[in-house]
Amino acid sequence: MSVLALKNVTYKYEGASKTVLKGIDAEFKAGKVYTIVGKSGAGKSTLLSLIAGLDVSTGGEILYSGENLKTINRDDYRAKSIGVIFQSFNLLLTATAVENIILSMNISGSREKDKKAYTYALLQKVGIDRETADRKVLKLSGGEQQRVGIARALSHDPDIIIADEPTGNLDRDTAAEILKILTSLAHNDGKCVIIVTHSRNVTSVADEIWGISDGKLISVKHH
Amino acid sequence: MYILQNAFRNVLRNKGRNALIGTIIFVIIVSTVVALMINNTTGNIIDDYKSRFASVVSIVPNMDRMREEAMKNSEGGRVRVQAPIIPSEQYMEFGNSEYLYNAVYRASTAINCDDIKAIDTDLGGQPMQGTVFVNGEAIVPTSFMFSLQGNKFEDFKEGLRDLAEGRMPESLNECIISSDLAELNGISVGDTFSFTSEIVFKGSSSMTDNQIFETRYELTVVGIYYDATNEYTMGGRKNAYTNRRNEILTTYETVIVPFVPDHNGITVSATYYVENPDMISAFAEELYAKGLSPIFDVKTDESSYNKIIGPVEGLRSISITFMIIVLIFGGVIIALLSSIAIRERKYEIGVLRAMGMKKHKVAFGLWSEMLIITCLCLVIGLSIGTLVAQPVTNVLLAQQIEAAQSAVSTPGMAGGMMMASAGTMSTSPSVTPLSEIDILLGMNTVLQIIGIALLLATFAALISISRITKYEPIKILMERN
Repeated sequence: MSVLALKNVTYKYEGASKTVLKGIDAEFKAGKVYTIVGKSGAGKSTLLSLIAGLDVSTGGEILYSGENLKTINRDDYRAKSIGVIFQSFNLLLTATAVENIILSMNISGSREKDKKAYTYALLQKVGIDRETADRKVLKLSGGEQQRVGIARALSHDPDIIIADEPTGNLDRDTAAEILKILTSLAHNDGKCVIIVTHSRNVTSVADEIWGISDGKLISVKHH
Repeated sequence: MYILQNAFRNVLRNKGRNALIGTIIFVIIVSTVVALMINNTTGNIIDDYKSRFASVVSIVPNMDRMREEAMKNSEGGRVRVQAPIIPSEQYMEFGNSEYLYNAVYRASTAINCDDIKAIDTDLGGQPMQGTVFVNGEAIVPTSFMFSLQGNKFEDFKEGLRDLAEGRMPESLNECIISSDLAELNGISVGDTFSFTSEIVFKGSSSMTDNQIFETRYELTVVGIYYDATNEYTMGGRKNAYTNRRNEILTTYETVIVPFVPDHNGITVSATYYVENPDMISAFAEELYAKGLSPIFDVKTDESSYNKIIGPVEGLRSISITFMIIVLIFGGVIIALLSSIAIRERKYEIGVLRAMGMKKHKVAFGLWSEMLIITCLCLVIGLSIGTLVAQPVTNVLLAQQIEAAQSAVSTPGMAGGMMMASAGTMSTSPSVTPLSEIDILLGMNTVLQIIGIALLLATFAALISISRITKYEPIKILMERN
């Protein structure tokens, strides 16, 4: 059964004449890595923001475990069911890496007893040592911030992980490490990983590749 | 709980911005503490003086109206200016008013006793009536040696009289006497004596059909007091009756037992206390309607009140005006600062909302931050405000007194004042304005300051909250990106 299903999803920006997304149908399953590719302005990030519950489609429906996102509490959906890795990280810059992640866990209502220990372990898993974890995000490199972003997305153990150009700001080695983490999350931990990207390296690890063109989603590669 | 923890951290994370907002709130709180302390302390002083000066009713003859009346009634060019007498029954009637919270009556009459010898008997007594005609014949008026005073105990409060033995009279027919009178006659507590008095009914026109009724008081001595008052009032006639050692003190109710309206012999006087000084006009209307001669003015002692309290009221007015100005300007500055601060924090709000934090929790977090800053300012502001309040008050009060003195130093404005209570007239000593006020931080003031501080924090937070709730997280993040 699909974790996430898009049925005839359309989207048009307020006041704009052009429809960005035109009747998109797709299904996303647990344990798989999906990549969505397309030209700049094709609507990749818009689709991602709809899936992430940050915006609402103007037509059609997005179903999470069979429930329409329009009818459920989208704050709770964002807090508990999905983890978003933003291209520009979107971390609290004056807080430390640890504080960012603990805050995310608190918002999701995590029942983890020792949140701090759990956070250090999680950061360790994505390659952030204890010293770096206690530094303000503002003082971390782009790669480190991206790792913190990934750790934050995983902190509340969501079913779906969405990543918007997760390797866009990273060097080749770091990008490879990040992709390894994401594929492991899908294949070993059974998460549904959806990655929006331009990168061929990223599409090479995908189980399914979707292309977006002229507002429509087309299956490019299907394992 | 995590929202509060995050709020605490945010206060420390953004030191510069919060220090700026904190400074403004601190200035507002210090100013408010000083203003409220002055306002509340002066308010209490004013209320106290109002109850002491402005609530006692004075019924005073108006000299201009007395002259006018005398001119009208003059015979053969001779003008006799004389204040009319307020009859005893009118004093009693005036006391039945809904405007009064209290009416204190006193009564007196002249008495004689066959079994007691008065002090200064050799100087003789005093007739209380003029020539009285009964059945057309002039009779020799009775000369009285003692006065029976009902409810005349103010000398005990002033320390001029003090109970030597026994107790004060409480019930009907109980009295106390001076130790001099007791020693002269060998009187002890518990002795009972019979006193006689006279009530005269004056005839209608011919003045020849007067009637004299003898009345009797059976009084038991329940106490003996030391008397340090002057035996004779200055300039008064000296005889046994006017000697104050011969005053028999009893209750008002005892004296008026034989009282009959429209009869002479028992004199009643009263002091009235209006519930609120603002009711004086309505009370005056009522008195005139009940038959008080229009020659009398009915008023409270406003001049003493104004002279003593005027500078304090000026100080209070300044403090309140100052507080309102500070609150308005401070509020505007805080609104602007909050507005600018929230623009800076738009990205942070967007991140929190993207993580799934609900709007009301974001709002609560912002409010908590403002509350933490305000509480900190409140503690420091209260301490510093309390220290500063007294010197500020001293300076402001000195300026007010100086201003008041320069205002009254014009010719004809200075000097003492006449003060008259119902039934008696006296000249009060020259009053001086309050020159010192001990400013205190009462619980009421603390609660008011906490209330204002909470309102400030809420106001500042509301400015921020009203702005952030207009944005969706995606819009905030897109703007940033």
